[in-house]
Amino acid sequence: MGDARLSRWLVAVPMTALALATIYPMVFTTNIAMKTQREYIFNRFSPSRSVQWDNVTTAWTSGDMAQYFINSLIVVGAAVALLLLLGSMAGFALSHLRFRGSRALFLGCLAALFIPFQVIMVPLARTMADGGLIDTYPGLVLAYVAQFLPFTIYLMTSYYSGIPGEIIDAARIDGSSFYGVYRRIMVPLGLPALLSIGILDALFCWNDVLIALLMMPSAEHRTLMVGVTTLRGQYSNDIPTFAAGVLIAAVPVMMAYLIFQRQIADAVTAGATKG
Amino acid sequence: MDAGRTGGATAHVAPPVAQAATRRLRSDRLAPYVLVAPAVLVIVLLRLWPLLLGVNFSFTGDGERNGTSVGLSNYVELFRDPLFRTALRNVGLLVLLLPVAVAIPGLLATFIFLRVPGHRFFRTVYFFPAVLSPVIIGAIFNLLLGADGPLNAALETVGLGPVDWLGEPKLAIFAVVGVHIWATFGMALVVFLSGFATLDTTLLDAARSDGASTRQVIWHVIMPGLSRTIQFVFVTTMIGMLTSMFGLLFVMTSGGPGGSTYLPEYYIWTQQGQMNRPALASAASTVLFLVMLVIGLAQIAILRRGLRED
Repeated sequence: MGDARLSRWLVAVPMTALALATIYPMVFTTNIAMKTQREYIFNRFSPSRSVQWDNVTTAWTSGDMAQYFINSLIVVGAAVALLLLLGSMAGFALSHLRFRGSRALFLGCLAALFIPFQVIMVPLARTMADGGLIDTYPGLVLAYVAQFLPFTIYLMTSYYSGIPGEIIDAARIDGSSFYGVYRRIMVPLGLPALLSIGILDALFCWNDVLIALLMMPSAEHRTLMVGVTTLRGQYSNDIPTFAAGVLIAAVPVMMAYLIFQRQIADAVTAGATKG
Repeated sequence: MDAGRTGGATAHVAPPVAQAATRRLRSDRLAPYVLVAPAVLVIVLLRLWPLLLGVNFSFTGDGERNGTSVGLSNYVELFRDPLFRTALRNVGLLVLLLPVAVAIPGLLATFIFLRVPGHRFFRTVYFFPAVLSPVIIGAIFNLLLGADGPLNAALETVGLGPVDWLGEPKLAIFAVVGVHIWATFGMALVVFLSGFATLDTTLLDAARSDGASTRQVIWHVIMPGLSRTIQFVFVTTMIGMLTSMFGLLFVMTSGGPGGSTYLPEYYIWTQQGQMNRPALASAASTVLFLVMLVIGLAQIAILRRGLRED
């Protein structure tokens, strides 16, 4: 038994090294963002002597990160709201209501799950352009909804399947319509799933760059992640400000991760274990 | 809902209560369709229809021949294009690296499951990069892998010259894939851990008390018990490698140096966005879809046999 204990600790050593390697890039970037240009040039790797926020302010204002941040908030907020609304409505119907074509619909949804965006992006861009939706907020929101809806429906359906039909029957006997059941029972009971799936959807949308590049070509409509891709060119001679811009884009996600780690892991694994 | 309004004559002569009941019945019958309609509309119009449109589009011409049928000429051009051939070669490389990308999180998850000291901490830390955007990760690694970045500085202290990680055509693709694996192994790790949670622990204990070594436990108890999870991780990791490296490529190499880090998704992007060749891009999309389908099905077939599952 002593041997087993020893080997456990032996495993923990490389795992700790890997953990440090996992954290290091973020620490490195934060450290640089806190340095002055001068300090960065002469003392690249040492801990920053002065914690100063000038670089962050510069990136936020002159780098237009503030505008990109707001653009991202608008698009992600609208997309997630729509995803959860459409996903929970369809999830309720697919899990508890009997209707013609429901099985075909669920299978179609699963099939759509396996169509990568890269495969449909050319015709999608054309359809969006025909509808006058390129370079508009609704266009990008719609593209995100289309991209992540099959996943959202799939998870909502499997979550709702775990809710006993008796609850619905009881409400029906009390005279509720299906819409009433949806509003008064399925939405409140679905809150844990809506929260974790909503967070995951928000992460997907927030982190995306390909769909945003395709749907929002003009500079003033850039989302935050598209903004990050332009930072390097903008601050090629000012690495601390570049790092500060990257940090601005990363901080909301880091906060979300610290608060909602559990929900994110739940949503990721729900897809794996139910399939 | 005025769906019940459009009813026939029976609704008119029926007494109020019965009338309300018919209306409700009709509204009930309609309700599922009303609930799924918006979702169906979005999925059919913006996911399934574009797939057909794209396949159709790949048989038409670009530029002056826009809209006219050109048969297979886009596909012929595609396979003659050295850039696309590089992209396909790189897909082959990714498939070869796939077992590594699955084994790393699998092994780490096993240790965490076996309660290595600090397993909670490891779980939290390892998953963290998986929530960051590839764009942010790419931007950070541009600094880390730079000529004067920390990795080269570390190499220098042991007497090795600076390596141009992203500038060497033979090296760059490995650097980008390495970063991708670093950034995403936490996702697979969490999936593995959820699979472990469904394992029959009495089986593990029995094997242990029969004197099985850790290695034997992994091979004969854990692996067969996790066969579904392993299949899932293989397929999703493959999908991730083929469809979510765009952000990294865009920020780190732009497909270079010399086109050596092209992947099909990057090729599609440049043909559509920069070269204004949407029909050629559609052909590349169709090829990517088929490639993924074939690899995915082959994986499942191989893994099923390998893991002795019926």
